[in-house]
Amino acid sequence: MPKPLKIVLKILAVPVIFFAVTFPIYFFNLDMKMTSKLEPFLLKHYDNLPRDAHL
Amino acid sequence: MRDLKHLGYLEDLLQEANNELIQKAKRDGRVCIASVCENIPEPLLNLGNAFSVRLTAPNTGSMDIATYYMTGLLCETSRALLERAIEGGFNFADGVVSPDGCTMINRCVENMELLQTMGKGNEHFFIEFMEIPLKGDDNGVGLLVKQCANHILKPLKENYGIDTSDAAIRQAVGVHNHVCELIREIGDFRKEEYPRITGYEFHILTLATYVCPKDLLIPILEETLEEVRNREPEPAKARARVMVVGSEGDDSGFIKLIEECGAFVCADRFCFGSLPGRNPISLNDDEDALTQVCAHYTYSCQCPRMMNMAKVYGRKQYVAELAKEYNADGILYDQIKFCDPWAYERMLGSYMLREDYGYPVLSVDRPYNIKSSAGQMRTRVQAFVESIELKKLQGGAK
Amino acid sequence: MAEYKTVEKVCGPQRKGETQLGVLYDNGKVRRRREWRGVKDTFYDYTRWLYLVSVLARFVAKPRNIKGFFRYRWMANYLGVMHGMDKFTIGLRDEPLRIAHTAMNFVINDVTQAIDHCFRGDRRVGNDKKYSDNCVLTDENAMTAFMMGFPNVNAILREVPTMFSANIFNQYSTTHYLDVAQEWGLPGDVCPMPEAESGISIEDDFCVLGCCAVQVNTTCDGSLMGNGIIAKRLEQDYNIPTFQLVAPMRHRMDDVQDYAAEDIRRAIAFVEEHTGQKWDWDAYFACAKRVNDATRKRIAQMEINSTDYPQFVGSVFSLYNDTNYMGNCGRSPDFVKIDEKLLKLAERGYQKKRMLATEYRHRCIIWGVQPQYIIDMLYWMIQCWGVVPLTDMLSMVNTKMIAEEDTPENREQAYYDMAWLNMNMIMRNRTHGGYRVLVDELWEFCEQMNADMVMMWEHMSCKAFDGMHGIFEEQARERGIHIVWVTHDLCDPRVYSRQDIRDQFNVYMRTVMREEPLDPTIEVLPDNDAW
Repeated sequence: MPKPLKIVLKILAVPVIFFAVTFPIYFFNLDMKMTSKLEPFLLKHYDNLPRDAHL
Repeated sequence: MRDLKHLGYLEDLLQEANNELIQKAKRDGRVCIASVCENIPEPLLNLGNAFSVRLTAPNTGSMDIATYYMTGLLCETSRALLERAIEGGFNFADGVVSPDGCTMINRCVENMELLQTMGKGNEHFFIEFMEIPLKGDDNGVGLLVKQCANHILKPLKENYGIDTSDAAIRQAVGVHNHVCELIREIGDFRKEEYPRITGYEFHILTLATYVCPKDLLIPILEETLEEVRNREPEPAKARARVMVVGSEGDDSGFIKLIEECGAFVCADRFCFGSLPGRNPISLNDDEDALTQVCAHYTYSCQCPRMMNMAKVYGRKQYVAELAKEYNADGILYDQIKFCDPWAYERMLGSYMLREDYGYPVLSVDRPYNIKSSAGQMRTRVQAFVESIELKKLQGGAK
Repeated sequence: MAEYKTVEKVCGPQRKGETQLGVLYDNGKVRRRREWRGVKDTFYDYTRWLYLVSVLARFVAKPRNIKGFFRYRWMANYLGVMHGMDKFTIGLRDEPLRIAHTAMNFVINDVTQAIDHCFRGDRRVGNDKKYSDNCVLTDENAMTAFMMGFPNVNAILREVPTMFSANIFNQYSTTHYLDVAQEWGLPGDVCPMPEAESGISIEDDFCVLGCCAVQVNTTCDGSLMGNGIIAKRLEQDYNIPTFQLVAPMRHRMDDVQDYAAEDIRRAIAFVEEHTGQKWDWDAYFACAKRVNDATRKRIAQMEINSTDYPQFVGSVFSLYNDTNYMGNCGRSPDFVKIDEKLLKLAERGYQKKRMLATEYRHRCIIWGVQPQYIIDMLYWMIQCWGVVPLTDMLSMVNTKMIAEEDTPENREQAYYDMAWLNMNMIMRNRTHGGYRVLVDELWEFCEQMNADMVMMWEHMSCKAFDGMHGIFEEQARERGIHIVWVTHDLCDPRVYSRQDIRDQFNVYMRTVMREEPLDPTIEVLPDNDAW
């Protein structure tokens, strides 16, 4: 394969791989499914913080 | 103690919104101007042959119709007043002046207007809505002067030909002050270790001055003052001296209930009370009377909707000062159910009076007519009185 | 009683991609998957998702923002930002989809920046004292008009990310703070917005920054009173002086304008005193021009919405107007470009007769105060029942042009203009000011926009609104307008869940209108536990 073509393919591979990785995350809502799992741990953390509660 | 001569008469008067004294004044051709809020300068509604009446709805039972119009989520005072208006109970009014103060009372009067509940057969009848200051400052005084001129003096003059001059205002203030001085002098007897008047009796007297033509009460008040001066107090002290702080306190049954639980209501810092509502207005000759009256109402106002921080802190300081002056052992903060301003004021006031001023505080909400939850309230107050007694035994209520 | 008004049904082409939106939901916190909108629109939505990811990535790249994230409980709600965006684009294609993204992405970016600014100056997080000393804390439900002439001072709307926007992304965002406020003695019947803010203040969960704070009594009695709780903490714990700026209630009356304008002068003097910056008339009039531009564009959008093919409608229309009109108030030039883009998209969509659903059966004005946690219901109404929301009460704000040329007379007029804007804050310009602005003008809008229906958000703790319930009923009957009452408690889903809210609409459509849903798969949604 000619070198310029190899370079072009290598460059094109980046967005293609990027798309191949991110689109399923987007479409199957994997980002939100992951962050929703974090919420209980965070809430526990906030509950344990010392508070200066007063009016 | 010996019964006060006029107490029974005044108690009967207060059973009806359209009481005997209002009817007498109307027969005499006088003009009745109704108001719904302590923030409206009373003397201005008492110019010439006009007389002011704070609207109340004594012995309110069902509020179903008002609840349809306003929902069950608005304060019971506003609904009780609307219900009474729809029933025709306020047809004696020749005009209504309402501030856009608290939202609920404003909506109450707007419903009264839209439903045409008053003024039938009176072509001069008017309803005026006015703005009132939100802060205790000179800008607020300027606003109140303008609002009173446009929404009280102008309609009084145009509709009923009432003299609204400076001299007329000074004269009305004179009568207002005379009533205030009588009330305050009677009220001062509550400071005594063995008071010569009960909180309930005092509330009846004070309430009457809001809901009846004031000038017609002067002879009664003068006689009562003389009676109280010469009265033998009860030999036993009350178990606890309690100051009541709150908003629409037009139900003497509430004060009676508190005192039946062994407390003595030594001071009344609420909208139908004497503090500051029956403070005389001091006038000088340097400034016009209208401005001075408005300044008095702006600066002495204890309504929670006054929002500058000097007022926010000042209201609690005022309560603490009164509690000291009237030798209160504890403070009862009350609000009518669903009142927004007093919900917050009660929360912050209770906290500050406890933490910053060291007073025991009972914080309650209640229905408009205390009879509908007397048992619950009695329990709360009894517990509060006992806690004050215990503190005294342990060596210091504060 | 008049005969009920009817409008012509408008039908459109079959929607590309998903036709039944119920497949997206399961019982989980988030959706099963994102929507298939056809190749072009799904790719567009994907690129917008990437953009938002980049916005959030830029935010978390700053260590101080991570610190803030772990310090403040309300930050956890922003885990659901992308989920929130999905709610606002349900069923949308073509220009309406692009409008929703353009507007909402900009709002999200704006909120992200607001949080970033808060953390930068916060004494507990970024602690940039120089920056903080040039900041003025402003109220959430307040116009920032008095800041229009301070181009070099930062207006920090610290209450927006803690309560207002948080509840859009997570329905349970405020419940903890409501409980705190009630534990400290505040009754539960007050409006949850100032109640939650009070709870946040009690728990010391607000960012602490700024050289001073300006509070306003808008929206209501609750906001006015809650300010005292917040100001006490600011003044006594943090030595941050506060100024309470009045917005008179009877804003339409001539004899309150002097009072309002004078207090604007005093607020400006207060900011000058504490920041050391002087009022800049050039900056002010530049902002005034932008305010007028935004007003003209908002009116133009509503003119399009008055036609058979409304474009910029629903929750995003409301939220965008809130942000632009209230939070921005002409101060940022970025909004001008976004306004232009949105109007171009709307005009294009109108010309192409784009629709947000396959059928429009009813034209609806949304009135009352919306519950933040189900504000996306307006899109659900379109997709489920073919009821298109033409406008909402919060978008029916000032339509008057303010003075924008720098002249001596206009400098005097400017205080009145700022006071006018201050009094005509979103929502408040209707809930206060007398029944004419709340009731009478609603019927005028129904006439102007050819609406046959009003969806009445009955916020049960909003006494200003509830107090007119019976009058609304009677007058709607007289005019033949359907009122669909939908009761809620603003930001507390424990009182009325999302499905409880939707069911009120469902019941009316089935029993009174005797209609079947356009998309029955979303009539009942399993989202009680969702963000």
